[in-house]
Amino acid sequence: MAPVAQTRVSGRRRRSPLPYTWQRGYLLASPALLVMLAILIYPLGYSFIMSFFRWDLSGSAPFIGAGNYTDELLGRQFNQALRNQTIFSVVSITIEVVAGMAIAVLVNGKLRGMRLARTLLLVPPMIAPAVVGLNFRWLFNTQYGLVDALLRIFNLPDIPWLTHPAWALVSVIVADVWQNTPLMVLLFLAGLQSLPQEPLEAATVDGATPWQRFWHIVLPLMRPVIMIALMLRIIDTFRTFDVVWLMTQGGPGGATNLLTVYSYLLAFQAVDFGHAAAVSYIALGMSLFVLGLLYGVPWLIAKRRAI
Amino acid sequence: MSGTLSRRKFLAASAAVTAGSLAAPWVARADAKEITALLITGGPLYPKYWEKIVQDFTAKTGIKVRYDLLEFTPLTAKVVTLSAARSSQYDVYSTHTAQIDSYFNHFAPLNSYFSDSELADFYPVAVKYLRDPKTGNLAAIPRNMDARVQYYRSDIYQEKGLKPAETWEELVDVGLKLTGNGHYGLVVPGQGDPAQRTFSDLLWQAGGDWVDQANKPAFNSEAGIKALTFYRDLIQKHKIVPPDAVGYQWNENSTEFSSGTVYATFDWPGAFAALSNPETSRVVGKWSTAPYVRDKAAISCAISHAMALNGQSGRKEPAVEFIKYTVSKDAQRLQFDQFTNFPSSQSLAKEVIAAAKGPQATWLQQLETTIANGKEWPKLAGFSKVCTLMFSAIEQALSDQASPADSLNQAATEAEDIMRRAGAYD
Repeated sequence: MAPVAQTRVSGRRRRSPLPYTWQRGYLLASPALLVMLAILIYPLGYSFIMSFFRWDLSGSAPFIGAGNYTDELLGRQFNQALRNQTIFSVVSITIEVVAGMAIAVLVNGKLRGMRLARTLLLVPPMIAPAVVGLNFRWLFNTQYGLVDALLRIFNLPDIPWLTHPAWALVSVIVADVWQNTPLMVLLFLAGLQSLPQEPLEAATVDGATPWQRFWHIVLPLMRPVIMIALMLRIIDTFRTFDVVWLMTQGGPGGATNLLTVYSYLLAFQAVDFGHAAAVSYIALGMSLFVLGLLYGVPWLIAKRRAI
Repeated sequence: MSGTLSRRKFLAASAAVTAGSLAAPWVARADAKEITALLITGGPLYPKYWEKIVQDFTAKTGIKVRYDLLEFTPLTAKVVTLSAARSSQYDVYSTHTAQIDSYFNHFAPLNSYFSDSELADFYPVAVKYLRDPKTGNLAAIPRNMDARVQYYRSDIYQEKGLKPAETWEELVDVGLKLTGNGHYGLVVPGQGDPAQRTFSDLLWQAGGDWVDQANKPAFNSEAGIKALTFYRDLIQKHKIVPPDAVGYQWNENSTEFSSGTVYATFDWPGAFAALSNPETSRVVGKWSTAPYVRDKAAISCAISHAMALNGQSGRKEPAVEFIKYTVSKDAQRLQFDQFTNFPSSQSLAKEVIAAAKGPQATWLQQLETTIANGKEWPKLAGFSKVCTLMFSAIEQALSDQASPADSLNQAATEAEDIMRRAGAYD
């Protein structure tokens, strides 16, 4: 292929002052790289540095080493947020992946109304998380909410969805599952439709039941898609903020405080940027660790088997 | 002249544009006849109010004001961010007593711009809690006062032969008589800063305080435990408050009363105008006001919306002129006329009280008494972080996750540690 420098410009051949090497590629990409540095790398680096200082608008910002990290790791509020984050992530991801796969298998069939179902599945992920949060806040309101009103019709007692610590965590998980399960369905559906049909047909001929075909053929073939889905949801649950903030603001009494909500409270209520940055980096480290396990463990197992 | 753009011309033009962009802030700063302000808004009338204030100020002084408006919560977040970045984007900020301690090193002291006699006209409680207790610097100047009184459904009370509660015991008694059939006798908020405000009022009324003489946490005293137990029992034991109140902030609190579901509440001055407006209230003409309840003492919070000068501002003199104008009697009177915001100027407050008639006069006198006896939590180093801790501690007690004593004792231990690390005892 002819190098860019040798193409005709304004009807005449021009020679470039620079040789066509990889340096020139970097030079041409440098505006984009500079923008990336300014809006992505610089704030990330700056907040990382901030996490080693007592940064609270008090004027001086002394270097305190890992002080912010040890304060938080030993602190009660951080550990409560960490516990909530773990429960929230594990429960919501498990439900979303399992339910997502089940619904995907269902809508992949040739039943009536499946096209409409697939279209409707696009709706929840398209709604802004803030709107989802507000809607669920009202749905779960004990006095005026639809959910408790339905329970009353069946003579069941009211459930204090947002004001009881355990129910509040259940409520935010329900909202997250409602919004993100359809995304899993779409991902899995795309994966199911691209599976090779030959192994499935061979298994059918051999007399395999639908469950056996799913468990022994579909699921192993779907593994790369499931891994992508898990990765996306792990990253997402560690970033969840809007829905929880609008439903409970992390309450009651920190019962739904996730790491993002806790970090926000530290930065904008306590005006303690050092601790807020430390919490954000612990959350980032945790999500990277979990992703590392997700990809690293199967890789290690495969390597050991190969040996 | 050739119509084509040569590489040299292109580079020269790019350099000129870049230099111009970089120099723009300094060029703008050089114009002393224009200042910038980040101002508070809320409701449809506020933008018009600021437009008039700015127009009048420019007509009087020749100084132009470019301003942006934000509601309270986003405004607070933006001021925090700009202060952390040491930004000089705005010369003047709207601010509030609530988080003022966070900005003691970022707002320029206003002491030298106001004479003692000028300061003496402001309510002492407002000025006291806008000062840095360490340096005595005045971080902001009060624009209007925020205090609460009791709003109750006079029609329902009359029908049932009840009087508005004066004491804690009466609050429970009256509430029990009014609760039932989907209605509640009282509503109080139970989440975040509003929960801390409510606990704070009850703490002072029970005879306690946030800190002792040595500035060590004292909110877990017998009075504190009594206050939080009473607060929790209103929701969990007596059930005279809607069950979802544990998740309520001010908006939900006000809406429960204005929708007619609840028969009494404690609310801010803005409620007087909102409850009188058929567009925002279903109980127009059916309510009245009474003093806040008391226990051992009749104390509740008295705070203020205020104006501050950015310490990074390069146009301090014209900015202070604008600040002075916003707290002038003319501006405060306009505020009162439009939003019934209670003036921070004592002399103006006396004038508006004297001119008021009927229920408004009664309400203004009740507010005046609250402000005269009012308090605010301490402005010690680290106390903003203690507040975050308190939100959680109070909510834990209100939602029965922990006993009031356990919640407060744990919070007190952690609060002392936070304040020590922040330098409150240095």
